[in-house]
Amino acid sequence: MTAPAPTLTEIQQAALIRKLTALADDEIILAQRGGEWTGHAPILEEDIALANIAQDELGHAGLYLELRRALDGTDPDALAFTRSAEDYTSARFVELPKGDWAFTMLRQYLYDAYEALWLDAARQSVYAPLAEVANKAFREERFHLQHTALWVERLALGTPESTRRTQDALNALWPYVGQLFQPVEGEAELTAAGVLPDLSAVKARWDGLVVPHLSVQCGLSLPPAGAEQPGRDTHTEHLAPLLDEMQRVYRAHPDAELW
Amino acid sequence: MIQTSPDTQWPRWEIFKQDSEKRPYQSVGSVHAGDPNHALLTARNVFVRRPAAVNLWAVREDDILIATPEEVATHPEVLQTPGEGDTYHVGVKKSHKRSMTFVDLVGTLQATGPGDALRQASEAHADALAWLVFPESAIARTDDDAETVESWFAPAKDKTYKQQQYYGVIGKHVGELKREGRMPRRATEEPHVADHKVYDHPHDATPEQVKTPEVQQ
Repeated sequence: MTAPAPTLTEIQQAALIRKLTALADDEIILAQRGGEWTGHAPILEEDIALANIAQDELGHAGLYLELRRALDGTDPDALAFTRSAEDYTSARFVELPKGDWAFTMLRQYLYDAYEALWLDAARQSVYAPLAEVANKAFREERFHLQHTALWVERLALGTPESTRRTQDALNALWPYVGQLFQPVEGEAELTAAGVLPDLSAVKARWDGLVVPHLSVQCGLSLPPAGAEQPGRDTHTEHLAPLLDEMQRVYRAHPDAELW
Repeated sequence: MIQTSPDTQWPRWEIFKQDSEKRPYQSVGSVHAGDPNHALLTARNVFVRRPAAVNLWAVREDDILIATPEEVATHPEVLQTPGEGDTYHVGVKKSHKRSMTFVDLVGTLQATGPGDALRQASEAHADALAWLVFPESAIARTDDDAETVESWFAPAKDKTYKQQQYYGVIGKHVGELKREGRMPRRATEEPHVADHKVYDHPHDATPEQVKTPEVQQ
């Protein structure tokens, strides 16, 4: 059904591993932040909905890490649950504490738009295993985007307080967004080879989608773009405590076979 | 009734799910939501996470008239409930087996209002435990274009889930363990077989028999 994967050079393979890991790391951390709302969301139905979305994101991380496993044999669980903050390659955007509901929904919206558009482009990857995964995950991501776009709109146009909180969230998040579109080392070569989507093209589509939604539809003011982004080896102070909590069970029972 | 504080609850929407093109819509439960789109998006997450579905409807609680035969007998004026003439959808509840929900939609009828629809429904389905009617115009429905079906409903089809027994820590039904004498007869007693105490965990004792069952469809 699918074309065989092109042969990657060793350098390309290393870059692809970096990229898959970065994609997975963003999903894992954001899923953990989403999971923090379980039992605390403003209404039962949204508690369930956000838990579902977080679970889907974690599922996407699993897909990316399975692709990595096919390349270098590393165990996805071990990658997720034994690496410490300095080895994680998540963007700072997903590490920020969960904040209030407006912050959570806005971050999830900005991320869903980025991920949906990235996956949409990745469906064309010449690397067939990635194209397959992208096809699968894109379906879910497009739905996430509808859900969170609706929430951002309702919050932005809701009460004076919800408008204020949504604008505050946008002000806090906007400076961090750029890091999602920052290529990993060696990514340009993989893009040129058709393995990975062109991030600048994804960013252009993202701007075209997100900016009118936030400014025209939701009436929010866009803050100035963020300054130069550090690399994915630079983390916020929030990552280490998050990992401590997330990894506690795995680290306490390293030999557990059934999860 | 005097309301002492403003009602800040979102309205309740009854959710009707169609599992496949050949199945009737069923009432599966409700969500609270601010508007029709919100109700549908939330319902998708709440009710279509795993099982297969092809369509979702959300209908505001206020637009639904529900009655049991007892209610109709004691308050026959319910059959006069005024409203708009429309095509009305009829749901009937035929069994107590599935608790509060799982009302099947059985068809439509033309009525001058909800009371009239209820009267017609009660005559056509005299044996029902409850009737439910709502006008066609009250339905918020998911789009049936390929994109929506693909992103709202297709992912659930690939998602299997583990049956509860998969997580069984003992690995077999407690009755079997009792029959084999592997369960204590009193809370303070240690597990035993005949007169011999069993110190090992049942898993270790009979590895072949206690394998967790395969995930079932």
